[in-house]
Amino acid sequence: MSDTPRANRFGLVLFAVYCVSYATFVLVAAFGTFENGVAKGGLARTVEGLPFGVSAGVSWGILGGFGLIIGAFLLALVYAVFARDGGGDA
Amino acid sequence: MIYETSSLAIAVFAAFVGAVLALSFWLGSRAKSAGGYFAAHGQVGWFVNGIAFAGDYLSAASFLGICGMIAFFGYDGFLYSIGYLAGWIVALFVIAEPVKRLGKYTLADALNARFQSRGLKLVAAIATLVISLFYLIPQMVGAGALVKPLLGLPHWAGVAMVGVVVTVIVATAGMVSTTWVQFIKGTLLVIVCTIVVGLILNRGFKVPTIAIPSSAVATLSVKPDGTLVNGLPLSTTNQLDSQLRAEYGTGFGSVAALPEGAQASGPLGPISYLTTFAGSTVTTWKKASDGAGTTSFTPVERKGSDLLLPGANPTFKGVRDDRWVAKLDFLSLMLALFLGTASLPHILIRYYTVKDAASARKSTVVGIGAIGAFYVLTLYLGIGAMTSGALDPTDSNMSAPLLAKTFGDALFAVISAVAFTTVLGTVSGLILAGAGAVAHDLLKDVFQMKLDDRGQVRAAKIASFVLGLGAVMLGILFERLNVTFLVGWAFNVAASANLPALVMLLFWKRTTKEGIIAAMSVGLVSSLAWILGSADTLEKVFGYPAAEAAASAIVPFSQPAILTVPLGFLTLVIVSLLTTNSSQRDERAARV
Repeated sequence: MSDTPRANRFGLVLFAVYCVSYATFVLVAAFGTFENGVAKGGLARTVEGLPFGVSAGVSWGILGGFGLIIGAFLLALVYAVFARDGGGDA
Repeated sequence: MIYETSSLAIAVFAAFVGAVLALSFWLGSRAKSAGGYFAAHGQVGWFVNGIAFAGDYLSAASFLGICGMIAFFGYDGFLYSIGYLAGWIVALFVIAEPVKRLGKYTLADALNARFQSRGLKLVAAIATLVISLFYLIPQMVGAGALVKPLLGLPHWAGVAMVGVVVTVIVATAGMVSTTWVQFIKGTLLVIVCTIVVGLILNRGFKVPTIAIPSSAVATLSVKPDGTLVNGLPLSTTNQLDSQLRAEYGTGFGSVAALPEGAQASGPLGPISYLTTFAGSTVTTWKKASDGAGTTSFTPVERKGSDLLLPGANPTFKGVRDDRWVAKLDFLSLMLALFLGTASLPHILIRYYTVKDAASARKSTVVGIGAIGAFYVLTLYLGIGAMTSGALDPTDSNMSAPLLAKTFGDALFAVISAVAFTTVLGTVSGLILAGAGAVAHDLLKDVFQMKLDDRGQVRAAKIASFVLGLGAVMLGILFERLNVTFLVGWAFNVAASANLPALVMLLFWKRTTKEGIIAAMSVGLVSSLAWILGSADTLEKVFGYPAAEAAASAIVPFSQPAILTVPLGFLTLVIVSLLTTNSSQRDERAARV
């Protein structure tokens, strides 16, 4: 149906990237963090080995959460800068 | 002291509300036509619209509800922040630009652009009304919660105040005044919360001089109207935490031990604040009720690192369960938050206020920036409240304003006024979305009443009065529920009813009007029915004891999206395939 405008392809690629990140985070929270009600890994693990020491001692739960929020903004910026105007029926 | 009215607070509050109303009246003189009333003539600049998105979206649920949930349960509240923000990605990359190109004033316009079907308009308008009303309840509950401590008024008075003010805003100038109220509120909310977080980091953590033993029990007798404490009237000298303060020098919510036995942390940075908290032990309060009006709160010490993980809240406790069935509530809610944002009518109609798809895109980026910044702050606000010694253990929604009060009355007044403006901004958007659905979709298109431009605006104004009244009644009825919890349900319903239709209309050429009508009806009815039959509804709405609610529930978990969204897609595909031929005939006939 040519008369229905479509989201542009570049946006859909960025969307897929974010979907995978979000799904990973949710699945790790649900299936990878607790065993018998006790935190054993996943979001409970402390982040190590990231550059500039920014992660100093925080857990993957915090880094993942902030990452998804700040990452959404960065993807949106990339999209705003590079998406073509009118960008519809690509 | 938890609650005490102050004249400064009342003055600041009155000034805020007065200024917002004055602005609304002034702008009202400039919007007479339907295009002005429903879509601000499509002339709102992308930056203003972006901040107005934040003002529209960051509702009482975000500000009061999330802060309260983090203050009571830790990370679980932050999961809502993550999910709410992630939903904007769906809006930006998939829904926003096509919806902008397809529609005029309402969501039904966009869905119906190809079909010109009255049936489709009817279903879309009903979905808009149901979702907006669902979303309105927590906003009104939040308003009531705010006015109680600030002005010393009962819950119903706060709810009624919001109802009156918002109806005036919407009835005077529709989208024009609503946009500016939302812009002001969005700006204020982010700035004021940044200031509070700065103060929280500067204060750091402090251990009370006398430790609270686990044998300390604060027993509270609550009358049905919630005003009596310990059998005596609530007053400045008889507060819920008076006894606790007299004995231990702190109210509810404090740090029991800091890392390495320190007594105070001193000022902390954004990262060290979280790592210090993770290494600390915190005194939280466990609530128990004997069913006869007596509620007791017992101190429970919990590790900060544990509070920074999901699963402490009853809604999310399944995350810590090894059975995958128990995890479905969590997975379903995270799906609903992700898919719900782009399905909310009051958010989608903001796209009609900018001039083109490029502006729609740019304003979404600005919106995501402002909303994301706020959601990062919620974690600090929540933890700050959890350790402020100023919690009201009976009302999680008051955590953020009470936290502000620990920094002085002036900040409390400003935060409460901003929170009230927060409610105003979101409720205006919701009522406008509902009024548009009634006047533009139902009366003009479905019932084919002969309404000119002015007639449509008049009908929308009458509808906004009726919706405002309905919202007030619901707000009074649902006083005791955490507002974020309620909004979670609205997201479930929105995602189930609207998302399959929106996505398939944009991406599947064989979608028919019958398919959309069926998918929206099935999504709406199935998600509502699921919620009604859930243990959470029985417990939190109908007041069943938890065990009995779990036993009587018809459905195995409470958040329906994980089933009802795929059901919507499935319905749409099957019905579209079955009706392809008749639909093509209709379209050919329409072209001829």
